[in-house]
Amino acid sequence: MELREFNNQVHPTPDYPSPYGSQHSLRLRTVPPQETSAVQFDWASPPEDAEDSNEPPNLRELPLHMGLKRAVWQVQQMKIPVVSSSWNIKQSQTFRRFCEVAKHVLSYFVLWKRGIQKIGGHFGGGVQSYFLFLRFLVILNFLSSLLIAGFVLIPSIVFRSMNFNSTIPTTVNLTGVEICLQYDPKPDTLMVFITYFLDLISGTGFMEYSYLFYGYYTNFNSMVESNGFSYNIPLAYLLTAAFYFLFCFICMIIRMGGTARVAVVTGGGATGGYSALVFTGWDHGLQEDRTTKLKQSNFRYRLQVDLEEERLKKKSASLTLSQTVSLYALRVFLNMVVLILIGATFYGIAKATQFSQLMKTTGFKGLVLQYLPSMVITASNFVVPLLCDKIALLEKYSASTTVILALLRAVFLRLVSLGVLLYTLWEQITCEGDISKQNCIPCNYYYDEYKCWETRVGQEMYKLTLFDFLITIATLILVEFPRRIVVDHCSCKLTQWVGRQEFLVAPNVLALVYSQTVVWTGALFCPLLPFINTIKFILFYFCKKITLFQNCQPATRNFRSTTSNFFFLLVLLFGWMLATMVLLYSVTKIHPSYGCGPFRFSPTMWEVVPQAAEMLNSTSAEFLFYMGSQKFSIPLFIFSCVLLCYVSALTSVHGKSVALLKSQCKLEQRDKQFLVRQIEELNATVQKEQREPQQPQRETDTATRWNQHDNYAFDRDEDPRPY
Amino acid sequence: MGGTASKLPKDLLSEYQELTFLTKQEILLAHKRFSELQGRENGPYSSRVSMEKVLTLPELKSNPFRKRICHVFSTSDLRDGSLTFEDFLDLLSAFSDSATLEIKSHYAFRIFDFDDDGTLDARDLEKLVNCLTGETDDTRLTVEEMRQLISNILEESDIDKDGTVNLSEFQHVISRSPDFVSSFKIVL
Repeated sequence: MELREFNNQVHPTPDYPSPYGSQHSLRLRTVPPQETSAVQFDWASPPEDAEDSNEPPNLRELPLHMGLKRAVWQVQQMKIPVVSSSWNIKQSQTFRRFCEVAKHVLSYFVLWKRGIQKIGGHFGGGVQSYFLFLRFLVILNFLSSLLIAGFVLIPSIVFRSMNFNSTIPTTVNLTGVEICLQYDPKPDTLMVFITYFLDLISGTGFMEYSYLFYGYYTNFNSMVESNGFSYNIPLAYLLTAAFYFLFCFICMIIRMGGTARVAVVTGGGATGGYSALVFTGWDHGLQEDRTTKLKQSNFRYRLQVDLEEERLKKKSASLTLSQTVSLYALRVFLNMVVLILIGATFYGIAKATQFSQLMKTTGFKGLVLQYLPSMVITASNFVVPLLCDKIALLEKYSASTTVILALLRAVFLRLVSLGVLLYTLWEQITCEGDISKQNCIPCNYYYDEYKCWETRVGQEMYKLTLFDFLITIATLILVEFPRRIVVDHCSCKLTQWVGRQEFLVAPNVLALVYSQTVVWTGALFCPLLPFINTIKFILFYFCKKITLFQNCQPATRNFRSTTSNFFFLLVLLFGWMLATMVLLYSVTKIHPSYGCGPFRFSPTMWEVVPQAAEMLNSTSAEFLFYMGSQKFSIPLFIFSCVLLCYVSALTSVHGKSVALLKSQCKLEQRDKQFLVRQIEELNATVQKEQREPQQPQRETDTATRWNQHDNYAFDRDEDPRPY
Repeated sequence: MGGTASKLPKDLLSEYQELTFLTKQEILLAHKRFSELQGRENGPYSSRVSMEKVLTLPELKSNPFRKRICHVFSTSDLRDGSLTFEDFLDLLSAFSDSATLEIKSHYAFRIFDFDDDGTLDARDLEKLVNCLTGETDDTRLTVEEMRQLISNILEESDIDKDGTVNLSEFQHVISRSPDFVSSFKIVL
């Protein structure tokens, strides 16, 4: 598309309002400013080509004012009475109308459209991108929870209410593992209120043995012979989880597709984007004086920073050797400091997790111990990025590099701290992967502590989600509102220097990515978690909107929305990959609990799939086994590599064509200038001859003027003014 | 003068839908807002509203390019920036959600062309940057910074090296920028 467009702009097609008038004005450029009324460019020249097209030009796309468009339309209407083409035109028109009506109806269903528009008007595109991301996650979680409810939850409820008993398949050998079958989480019927509340928050007690967690689902299958209907719950559970992951992946890829294409084309980068910044930087949707002034100062700040960076770059290219070496040594040292800081955090998280898993007190102290890993993670996520920011200031990178580096470190910290938590859990559950250890002997997992290990993992994820939500609400109420009240009513210097809260987009988006990763990790073990997350994110939207309008001032530093959108989706993808690894490992490697859950009698969770496939008729079973084998997957992999190489080769070819066309454009302009000068010279000599016919013609040397850059344009219709 | 607001006749409504990028709801809302500006309720289709009144709209009030926008979309012979209802619709159509990139970049170019000569030269660029950073003395860039900025802009976007940015070069820069379509938007 780019090539064609570029061609059209170099040689404009005739139905483009041709700028013949520009030649007048360029030549008259030396006229003093009082006479600028004579220099008006004529944009109202009508399009030249109004016939010979099978489809009428789309009137809306003509950059003329309404009166002229109407005239063109009337001319078109008069030309229409060719029978066949009129039917085509009517068809395309009705189709267009239908699309418009459909778009209009669908726009009613867009969630929170007005609210987000208002946010964009008052706070700009950066903050709006956070809310758009939040909306995307809400919709994703809602659709996922519908999926899970439809395939897993509702059938379970139905079958349980029909009082089916779970059967032990005859093929399973249960000698020696009878101890593993014991699991009795049924709560006391008489409960104190405080216990009730503690159970609600930590997922134990009555919450543990409920549809919320994995342990409640049983392996109903092969039933209802009377109707000839059977529903394999274990298979449904597993395949729904797999499909859920696939669905999220596809949604993310589609959303990344648009932003990726744009980000690759534009490249990004602070210096070198001046014209783009100046031409496209203003947001016309801003509506308040205060916001406009802020955006203007923002602009000035950014331009000054970029210009300063450019000057610094020119200067730093001239640093002496010793200065460069010391700078790099400083940077290496500070990176080591950051790594040590992050390593200490991980150690703290691991220790906290181990401690909380092994302690068994009840009551309030027990609750605090249970929430210890979440607290350590949240504290580190708060403290360490602050320190990293301060360290980054010392490293003397350019402004844009500093921002990206800070974001990368924060992302690394968040996702890997979650990974450390999961690793610690795994260590305990599977006795460090070694099933021959003392604790793991009869059941292949640490039975004494984890009678139903999947539920325990689900509980950890549930606690993380809940704690994250509570902390956000607490920050809102206990930090942001008081800060605003203090700043507004107390006018001492300290409060003015601290100022109102600024809505920083990047840390907020990373918090969303973290929550979503936790939900993905926990979805297999806690099927209602996506539903809980939907409600949590909806509450987030309203709370963040309230705090935005009540407590925050617009950001003083600018925020590039589109490259950042791509970056956020990329980070979300990393979170998804982490969750997928957890899913794959726990489905294929760890032995499911004997005491609970739908997979209790298979050696791994995955086993239900081959078992179910075997029950199909032989051709389908063979086909499925072939798809899963190496004979199929290796050629598929090779084919996708070839496709990737092809697409990247295409991209580089397009880039080269663009560069070639640019240089061609330059050469053509040079040719034009040369020809104009030649004609002017000829005209000048002809006029001179007419005035003084006796004087001999002087040969003028036009070739020497070839290299001058003047503002002449080629115009056939007007006599050149003598200069 | 009655108390009933005049309604837009159906054939005019469908004509406007055909000729602009606006939906029916948007045209009716524009009609309502424009009538409020006028203070009268009959026949606003060809009568003009002065630029000062148009600039009282909250969507335009704080826009630093508001005067240029009125001048560009005005079809007045006196070149005073006054708008008829149809000019107003043209304005909203160019700034609407569904307008194409070509239309938006065309009108953006005209808005930035302060001296209306069909190209953006150094003077136009300087006025543009001043609009973007603020018009008062303490919000402008220094002379040195302005010179550096304008030479950078011309170096990046002036492909044929004639010292000005013409429409094609402008559209080339715009086509590489992803945020333009979403930021060049005014919705009532």
